[in-house]
Amino acid sequence: MTFRKDSLWGWLFCLPLALGLTIWVAFPLGVAVVMSLFQWNMISPAVFIGLGNFDFMFFKDHLFWNSLWVMFYYTLLSVPLQLVTAFGLALMLNTKVKGMGVFRTIFYLPSLIPVIVSTALWMWLFNPQYGLFNLFLDAVGLPTQEWLTNPDMVIPSLVLMSLWSVGNIVIIFLAGLQGIPKELEEAVTVDGGGAWHRLRHVILPFMSPVIFYNLVMGVIAGLQIFTQPYIMTNGGPANASLTYVLHLYKQAFQFSKMGYANALALILLILTMVLSLIVFKSSNRWVYYEGDKK
Amino acid sequence: MKKGFAVVAALVLQVCFIVAGLSAENIKLSFMFWGSPAEDTAIRKALKDFEAANPGITVTPLFATYSGAEYDAKMKAMSESDTLPDVGYFGGQFYDYASNNFFLDMTPYVTKEGIKNDYLPQTWIMYQNKIVGAYTAAESQVVYYNKKVLQDAGVPLPPTDYAKSWTWAQYVDVWKKLTIDKNNKHPGEAGFDPKKVVRFGVNHEMWNQMLLPQVWSNGGDIFSADGKQILIDSPATIQVIQDFADLRNKYMVMSSPGLTEYNSTSKVDPKVLLQNGQIGFYVSGQWELLDFAGMDFPLGIGALPIHKNPAQLYVSGINVIFKATKNPDAAWKLQKWMMTPDKTLDLYSKGLWMPTKASWYTSKADLDKWVPTKAHPEGFKAAVLDSMKIARVMPPNVRNADQIWSEFINPELDLVWLGKQTAEQGMKKAADKIRKSGLLTGLWN
Repeated sequence: MTFRKDSLWGWLFCLPLALGLTIWVAFPLGVAVVMSLFQWNMISPAVFIGLGNFDFMFFKDHLFWNSLWVMFYYTLLSVPLQLVTAFGLALMLNTKVKGMGVFRTIFYLPSLIPVIVSTALWMWLFNPQYGLFNLFLDAVGLPTQEWLTNPDMVIPSLVLMSLWSVGNIVIIFLAGLQGIPKELEEAVTVDGGGAWHRLRHVILPFMSPVIFYNLVMGVIAGLQIFTQPYIMTNGGPANASLTYVLHLYKQAFQFSKMGYANALALILLILTMVLSLIVFKSSNRWVYYEGDKK
Repeated sequence: MKKGFAVVAALVLQVCFIVAGLSAENIKLSFMFWGSPAEDTAIRKALKDFEAANPGITVTPLFATYSGAEYDAKMKAMSESDTLPDVGYFGGQFYDYASNNFFLDMTPYVTKEGIKNDYLPQTWIMYQNKIVGAYTAAESQVVYYNKKVLQDAGVPLPPTDYAKSWTWAQYVDVWKKLTIDKNNKHPGEAGFDPKKVVRFGVNHEMWNQMLLPQVWSNGGDIFSADGKQILIDSPATIQVIQDFADLRNKYMVMSSPGLTEYNSTSKVDPKVLLQNGQIGFYVSGQWELLDFAGMDFPLGIGALPIHKNPAQLYVSGINVIFKATKNPDAAWKLQKWMMTPDKTLDLYSKGLWMPTKASWYTSKADLDKWVPTKAHPEGFKAAVLDSMKIARVMPPNVRNADQIWSEFINPELDLVWLGKQTAEQGMKKAADKIRKSGLLTGLWN
């Protein structure tokens, strides 16, 4: 009797999550898979076209490969830079300096600003004629840049902007750093090791699970980059910042190709899964878990 | 007995009143629109006035932003969930909706009231010989300049007669004279530093419709009349596009390119630059008059440059009545209200729109209602208002036009504006791709 009652409670507590996942994730995913086989503009009846959308995607859509490249370029450039920047900041914010609370707040603040607002702000910084960056470059005698208007510069500029809001990653790193046993760092010092040895042989191994977590999250976020190019460049100049999700969005909502957009979304899902799997597989080689028998 | 009868009669009467009241007050309409804060205010006022003039009808204003595809996305969500408004502005994919029978046929109303010819001929939007929409307003292109800047620089003011304007080359000459770097040197002079310019001669809006008056003036076009040919690689069109690119890359009279796919909010507002004297001329839409009216500097208006023949653009959003409306008669009343400039005078007298009603261009009584206001500087009538006689609409019914511009033409234009390729190279490349894309499938009609 008590067993049945317990299990009832168990089901009850699971229910919100189970229902949420079913209604908001599994069901739309299923619909997306089905709709990827249709030609559908949302206002006239959908027409079944088999694998037509995928045929168009791989062989006819000249922007598919372009947007795929932009997505990978952004991810490959931004994720390592974000991790290194955040890790460096976390190390500095983990030292014992007076007023550390203030510094930690300052570096976290940008993450609290809504993306739209920070993006608008950065558009001013990037302005070729009146922006702060070019005024600064000009003042110190360096050549000014066409940050967002030059096809070669636009992705690096977006990556630069993404480094401004690494606060969330910093917080996670900081929490990880505080969990490192002090006695191990002291042991390195006693053995005559310097800061580099502490970093290389204690901090990095202990931090590897945290780095791993941030890497996975960073890659997933990088593949989905949308808001910044949508607001700042709308994919331009010359499609140089047309990321995959922006391409998908335009197909769906600007050109009413909802079936095709679903097909694009499906491919993105598969790509994300494959990439995550690769990162997970590789983690055996470099992620160290305390208490792991290996 | 008598008393009982009176009570019953009173009750019956009361019920009648309630029923009548209900049916009179039962009509609820919604009106969906986009626009700047000023347009938002003006539209809400127009709707309130409509309610006051039509007791028993209430109108809910539905404001949505028109950046990117947001308005269109909202429209789609509403069409999927059967929550479309009764009347409203309509954004992209007009003919997809028209061909799926989403819009009320206004022809019976327009015919019955005999008002078709009261409006500019461009106004009505036809699909399968039915009026399925009407342009919200008449809007066009304008050459703005800062009078003080021109006078201080000693350059002549541009003509205002649209038919006898300066040629493109004459305008470029003036823009060169107005462009100065921090050592007071002009483009072409020895020692001129294009990176240290303190005032550019001109800022010309570069989004697709803004290129059209010059393209047409030169005898070029974008699509053929049947929508089956792309003409961007015709010599006349290429020449105009090269002329635009030269403003920045050859003559250095214009600042960084206004990239075609760029969100307009990302730029420093050229109106402010004009006010500050950081540019001499600004070429944009006539709707800028609304904002200019609130800025304190001597604004001048000139006629558009001429390549070969005078040309003007008619551009506007579209108004529709949705077929799903439960009250088509009331919806038409509202639509007609919004098309009657007397009822929504602020929208015109303050500079945002020009009327679609024909007499408002010709009858002195009507002209006096909206033109002699602070928003319309001297020269407005000759340069802009009168030029509406020759204004052309970019055909809205070319199939896939939006996608052709966005995916094929604009990316190549970006590289032309940046000087990374010539107009000829870019437009030939784009035209080839478009011809192979299978998107040139004619007109919706």
